[in-house]
Amino acid sequence: MQDDYIIDMRHITKRFPGIVANDDVTLRVKKGEVFALLGENGAGKSTLMSVLFGMYQPDAGKIYLRGEEVKFDSSDDAVAAGIGMVHQHFKLVDNFTVAENIVMGVEPKKRLAGFLPCVDIKEANKRVKDISEQYGLAVNPTDMVGDLAVSQRQRVEILKMLYRNAEILIFDEPTAVLTPKEIEFLLDIIRGLRDQGKTIILITHKIEEIKKVADRCAILCRGKLVDVLDVASTSVQHMANLMVGREVKLETTKGEPHFGKEVLKVDHLTVRNADKFEVVQDVSLSIHEGEIFAVAGVAGNGQGELANTIAGMQDAYKGTVTLDGKDITSETVRNRVEDGVAYIPEDRQGMGVFMNLPLDENLALRRYYKEPFSKGGVLDHAKIREFADDLIERYDIRSGQGGRTITRSMSGGNQQKAIVAREIEQHARLLIFVQPTRGMDMGAIEHIHDQIIAERDRGAAVLLISLELDEVMQLADTIGVIYNGKLLKTAPASTMTSQEVGRYMMGVADND
Amino acid sequence: MTDAEKKIGGAGWFQRLLDGRWSHIAVPVFCVLLSLLVSGVLLVVLGKDPFVGFYSFLQGSGLAPKGSYGGGSGIQSDFFTFLGYLAPMLLASLGFVVGFRAGLFNIGISGQMVASAFTATVLVGYSDLPAVLSKPLVIIIGAVVGALLGAFVGFLKYRFNVHEVVSTIMINYILNYIVGFFINMYFVNGLTRSSLPCSTDAALMIYNVQIGGISCTIPLGIFLAVALAFFLDWLFKRTVVGFELKAVGQNPKAAKYAGINVGKRLIQAMALSGALAGLAGVAYYCGYYTTIVPKTLPQMGYDCIAVALLGNGNPIGSIFASILVSVFQNGSNFMSSTLGVQKEIASLIVGIMLLFSACGGYFRFLAHRKVQRAEDSKIKAKAKAEAAAEGMTGEGEK
Amino acid sequence: MDTVFIDGLAFAAPLFIMAIGGIYSEKSGVTNLAVEGFQGFGAFIGSLVAVILMPQMGSDNQMVIVVAMLASMIGGAVYSLLHAFLCVRFRANQVISGVVVNILAAALTTFFTSVANQALTGAASNKFVLGVSDQVTVPVLSQIPVLGWFFTDMYPYEWFIAVVAIAAWYLMYKTSFGMRLRACGENPQAVDATGGDVNKTRFISVVISGALCGIGGICYAYSISANFSPSIYMGFGYLAIAAMIFGNWNIPTTAAVCLVFGLARSGGYQLCLSMGLSSNYSDLFLMLPYVLTMILLVFFSGKNHPPKAAGVPYDASDR
Repeated sequence: MQDDYIIDMRHITKRFPGIVANDDVTLRVKKGEVFALLGENGAGKSTLMSVLFGMYQPDAGKIYLRGEEVKFDSSDDAVAAGIGMVHQHFKLVDNFTVAENIVMGVEPKKRLAGFLPCVDIKEANKRVKDISEQYGLAVNPTDMVGDLAVSQRQRVEILKMLYRNAEILIFDEPTAVLTPKEIEFLLDIIRGLRDQGKTIILITHKIEEIKKVADRCAILCRGKLVDVLDVASTSVQHMANLMVGREVKLETTKGEPHFGKEVLKVDHLTVRNADKFEVVQDVSLSIHEGEIFAVAGVAGNGQGELANTIAGMQDAYKGTVTLDGKDITSETVRNRVEDGVAYIPEDRQGMGVFMNLPLDENLALRRYYKEPFSKGGVLDHAKIREFADDLIERYDIRSGQGGRTITRSMSGGNQQKAIVAREIEQHARLLIFVQPTRGMDMGAIEHIHDQIIAERDRGAAVLLISLELDEVMQLADTIGVIYNGKLLKTAPASTMTSQEVGRYMMGVADND
Repeated sequence: MTDAEKKIGGAGWFQRLLDGRWSHIAVPVFCVLLSLLVSGVLLVVLGKDPFVGFYSFLQGSGLAPKGSYGGGSGIQSDFFTFLGYLAPMLLASLGFVVGFRAGLFNIGISGQMVASAFTATVLVGYSDLPAVLSKPLVIIIGAVVGALLGAFVGFLKYRFNVHEVVSTIMINYILNYIVGFFINMYFVNGLTRSSLPCSTDAALMIYNVQIGGISCTIPLGIFLAVALAFFLDWLFKRTVVGFELKAVGQNPKAAKYAGINVGKRLIQAMALSGALAGLAGVAYYCGYYTTIVPKTLPQMGYDCIAVALLGNGNPIGSIFASILVSVFQNGSNFMSSTLGVQKEIASLIVGIMLLFSACGGYFRFLAHRKVQRAEDSKIKAKAKAEAAAEGMTGEGEK
Repeated sequence: MDTVFIDGLAFAAPLFIMAIGGIYSEKSGVTNLAVEGFQGFGAFIGSLVAVILMPQMGSDNQMVIVVAMLASMIGGAVYSLLHAFLCVRFRANQVISGVVVNILAAALTTFFTSVANQALTGAASNKFVLGVSDQVTVPVLSQIPVLGWFFTDMYPYEWFIAVVAIAAWYLMYKTSFGMRLRACGENPQAVDATGGDVNKTRFISVVISGALCGIGGICYAYSISANFSPSIYMGFGYLAIAAMIFGNWNIPTTAAVCLVFGLARSGGYQLCLSMGLSSNYSDLFLMLPYVLTMILLVFFSGKNHPPKAAGVPYDASDR
């Protein structure tokens, strides 16, 4: 029956310069189901949902909502039609309360002294409390959003949609920022919303979540709709193959580790942030030649600060960092680089490259001040270009005008390739990788994983910091789990299961 | 291509010029032309002929012959006076450029100018030292005082996160009051109410040079200024120091990651900026004038910002831009006497130039967007055509 | 001693209203270094209206001041459109825009003051002579022992400013517009996602800022300088910005900071008089607020929390 479908997107095509993000995609969603949208990064999932949410207008195709054709000029139109979206990056104001965030734009009003219009904050608190109880999403309306944990912020976002009477809820990669336990909670919430008659669309690239919660699932690959499947009757491997468009290698092959001398030793390290809060607490670890030490943990538990401090970007408050027996705790960044520390930071565009400088200068960032790239303080641009061209070729960095391309105009993936190339080319003693594969597609991920393993096999010490449990399990020789700035557990990778690691990531302490 | 397609898709030569590889020259020139147009309209509104007006600015600056000259002066002497004004203007704008490249807005140039010129005047200008000693000393003292003041601002920024715009302006007023106080207390010329003039030995000028039968005063600052402009251009393009200053200006966090000592470079940038401002100060107060009017900050300290922005933050660009701005400011007296318009209009014209040059980035953005859209629509049209062609052959095979 | 308080308050009130202007702009996400230019231009329009009206209405008619106040608000608001367009629409660097707006204000008002004077009086002076606003003493309340000074020799504008300040506080913290405004300065995406128009909100906020700064400017013209001339650009706009920074972008705290500035200035001046120093020394004491500002900047700049999104143009396509 036609009117079973609350959403009916027909033949949607959306082009961006150089790529077709959605190519003739037809999608139908039933009222009251959890519908998953599966695909790799760049498969066109987010674009398709942005079209539905009115943020983009399709180049071709039509959208029917409850059987009637609709044209959204902006997301406001979509909200008015009962569609809500929880974005990957929360759109919340930190110094507002939960209730203020939820009601902003449609505040309850009252008159002050009988005539002055004014936001009725008491009424807002009450309404928020009511809705949160109705849907079982516990929040305190008067808490400051800035003080909340990520999972609670996500609830605020969900409440924001429910407050606006959304019937269709789109979740864009909602579990990327959550711990395994919190993911379970969220999936419960999603089931609860479905039971109250809401229609849910879940954008994700994690198949196991779809297995747990979705009724049906559409698979997108390179902008095209591959198939729409009934989740209960489809295998995980089949979904994975369809998603990537070829046979997937779910394991990375990696030889036995051969540990050599100790390279990095971190001893009772404590780091404070600007508010004097101890973001890294009393962390000790040691990494040897030929060892990949992976730090597992949920975002915001001090990983970034740990990496920054070892690399010299942040100051240690207590404790020491030793490289090859030399205390480098208060060395400058440049001296650490000279001593053999290479660092691929999480914040690529803000820290790893100068967006407004050409690619060749970015590639030479670790050596421009030394011969042969400069003599007596005068740069030799020809030498820099030569060096860059070599790297561009060997690491397959794609850009419009080779070394002279302004870095800003390159794709994120190629910017990352440039950073990785530059740091690997340091032939460093210690390589620090922070989230090296974030936002990359499966092919590129495999390639970077191979490079990390090659560095290990060359005899370097590797510190890998990742939020993806799978990545940690695949690559690590030693695993350290970080929680609230503390290293809760350190053990050889072979002795730990991913369930165990997941438990430690939630802060469950050791029993023995 | 249909007419409709041309309208949507066609980015004209003009947009391409503003967006292309010559944009760093095309955009400022466009901004200047726009501001001349607006200023011309202003003159028309005031009931004056804009062409006569603009020409009289040139005449006043010794770049075009006047109708008649007073006794002992000629186009040569006017021209050297103009160079005397140009020198501090160029130096001051170079000072702003250096800070600007490193991401710092040195609004304190006027204060740095006054303070360094005052120090040089008091220490050297009132002494009996011979010219060979006193002239270099004036230059050195000017640069050192300016550098110290600049470095102080850089230190406050790095160590205490004090925004340099606010701190430099506060320091401007403080210096203005202090210098004004000392001049009024100890060094005032009772008649003119300004400071006692510095000695001819110390002044950065060569007096009474006969050129074409007319006695001219040759300003020395201009040679220093032009040489420094080329030096700075080389510094930013070719040296490690210049690269690191730029890097700090673009992204301090990435600069730290790259191993650059950000604090040191910030302070150095401000010190260099201040030193150039200090040189501008001595070139102005000991090389164009010879006295300092107490409690008056030089307008030049702000005009130089317009120069730097017009010159696209480039030292060589500053040479051209400072000539332009100096023509207006220096020629304003003559313009006023021939046209009967208040000489303050010169500041207004410079202000309008400043306004349009602040919009330069937006003009470039507009042109870029236009060009981009034209290319996008070409790509899209091509993709559509291909898709249509594929559909045709597909059906044909069936 | 009372003089110190009376003069201090007279100086602090206009400073405070300008600081509120700065807060409005910055809380909405537009860095505002243009306060100096706004107040100067506002004062110029107000004074121009006053010198036009004075021959007709009589030079000591207090109605002239009221009209001049309104005119200066409008003048400041109109002039602030420039900053609003540059920052919001043209996405210029907001620091540069502020500097440009200030320099242009000085050039424009100086030039047109002499043009206007030539037209009105035939002499191209760069001053509009205004005189000083009457000072009012409230009969009974001024006799209160300790706090009597608060009701003695008040400029009427001080009360006006008090009323406007309360209204500004109400608008920012109690209304839905104010809520949106504050959100624009912290996370504009949040406003966009809830159907608000970030750029429109910012635009309006800058214009409000201009109007408030205009009030500050005309008050100085009518009290401290008793005329309008280029000396209106004494850096009070920057003092207001400094006050805003120490006040942590919070209206009540900023009020306290402005009062401290005012007292420092009037106290220094009185000290100079009581020590019997020559008028040259007064320069050194006039320097006090600026020195105080520098010292406070050193202590407070690192610890404050400016609006997170201030200085960043909003582009809806950056998601």
